Amino acid sequence: MKLVRAVFASVWMGWQREMEWANPVFCLIIKTVAPIAAVLTAAAVYWFGSSFAGLFTPERLAYIVVGSSLYGQVGAYAYVPTSAIAEGKWSNLYPQVFITPPSSIPYLAGRCLASFADSAPIVGISLAVSYYASYILFGKAPTFIVTTTSALMTAAALVASLPCAIGLGYVLGSYSVFVSRFEWALPSYVSGLLMIFSEALFPASVLPYPFSFVAEALPFTYLMRASRAALIYDSWSLYTSSMTYLIIGGLVFLAVGIYTFRIAEQSARRKGLLDKKVM
Amino acid sequence: MYSRAWVRVRSTYGEPLWVAVNLAVPLLSSLAMALLYGSTGLSRYTGFAILGGIMLAFWGNVLWSMASQFNWDKEVGIFEIYLVSPAPITAILVGMSLGGILATLPSAALVALIGWAVFSTTISPAWDAVLLTFLLTLASLYAMGMLMSSLYLAYGREAESMNSAIGEPISFLSGLYFPSIGVGSPFPFALQLVASVIPLTIGMDALRKSVFYSGSAKNVWFDLMILAVMAVILLYLSDRALTALENKGRREGTLVVRLR
Repeated sequence: MKLVRAVFASVWMGWQREMEWANPVFCLIIKTVAPIAAVLTAAAVYWFGSSFAGLFTPERLAYIVVGSSLYGQVGAYAYVPTSAIAEGKWSNLYPQVFITPPSSIPYLAGRCLASFADSAPIVGISLAVSYYASYILFGKAPTFIVTTTSALMTAAALVASLPCAIGLGYVLGSYSVFVSRFEWALPSYVSGLLMIFSEALFPASVLPYPFSFVAEALPFTYLMRASRAALIYDSWSLYTSSMTYLIIGGLVFLAVGIYTFRIAEQSARRKGLLDKKVM
Repeated sequence: MYSRAWVRVRSTYGEPLWVAVNLAVPLLSSLAMALLYGSTGLSRYTGFAILGGIMLAFWGNVLWSMASQFNWDKEVGIFEIYLVSPAPITAILVGMSLGGILATLPSAALVALIGWAVFSTTISPAWDAVLLTFLLTLASLYAMGMLMSSLYLAYGREAESMNSAIGEPISFLSGLYFPSIGVGSPFPFALQLVASVIPLTIGMDALRKSVFYSGSAKNVWFDLMILAVMAVILLYLSDRALTALENKGRREGTLVVRLR
């Protein structure tokens, strides 16, 4: 029970940090503009490239719009634990969280859940706005299957990706506890690599071996596949197989993440790095 | 001006890890876009993605190391030192720009090298036009950064969120990875006009012409003229905005307030 309370308190704190620095509606608009622009950039690159080659298909446009909308969500997770730890070190919050009885593991989980709560609606908004913007800009709209069932299936895929996202958070947090400079370096690389390796923009088969193998092994790839199965292909078999891999892979990722983070945090405590700041 | 530029250059070249840090976003974004071009069967346009990555390195520097720099300087107490020093703030900003350009060059060069090595893109550059366009684009882009930096003096921690919000839309409108104005643009004319107000749009258009289509300085003279005019106007506006907001901050006592 104490653990649940600690997670909820962290969710609340994360929400306050992300959404309460101004009017929440303004915050949501500010947070939505960038993902929409990123989706439209990818769509425009596809439109420009494929139109010249005469290879444009609305289905492929839908593939890119769904992938890049979800990537915005996945990419955001990479920064949450780093932000929580780096800012926490700076403001002395993190050492205080560390010495509380539940310590920092539920804190980071809560921050990731807060990020999920504020970025999940952004996926829906990005998809909707990109649909209409594509029609206006390219004269062709992506072919989405928009039904209650497909929306619920996509939402379920997003929820199923949470263990994986939190696991990634812990792995990156393990790095953040040690560093007091360049703390944004690793999340930037991880976030950028996920754009290439998670089938956000193109199938894993485009990548040469062994990179394609890496992409196939990442649970985030199956979030993309499950969502596309729901929103584009209407394929129940693809959806269930992707969801199975996403859930199992995510739980493995979470277990590895917690284990890594525990070891890293204990080591950082021994070395006196948990509250180290650099001016 | 020299001192501020020197600090920035020294901090980057004295700590080579900075290059690796600055490389992540432009390199991986341009690789992703180049692979997207490749996956749609148009490998000959992968060069557009690499060029976009190169300029994204500078745009990122303008956003995070120019526009919001004063905000971070306030947080760590350096901004007070600027205020009490006899150096004009505009000179500090110009120095920061020059230092920023020199500090970003290695990351941008690595994006170019890795991009061209991986995708073997064919280019047919008119080097005089490329160099001129590149310099004028940077001049106008960093002048825009100076203006943003001045405007951000009025903000506290909101500056970071504002940066996150405007980075992608400007990359999209300015056509970092695809032509957003002229031939091949997906935008309606009205949106192309709006996009043309951004220096990066004009710069990217001229760079694509001069790097990939042998556009000589004669072919891109109109773009160069616009870039030069933009640089002058933005410099003037940033100076005025800086003075106005500095005076307002002094009057209201909010100039060096931290953690707002």
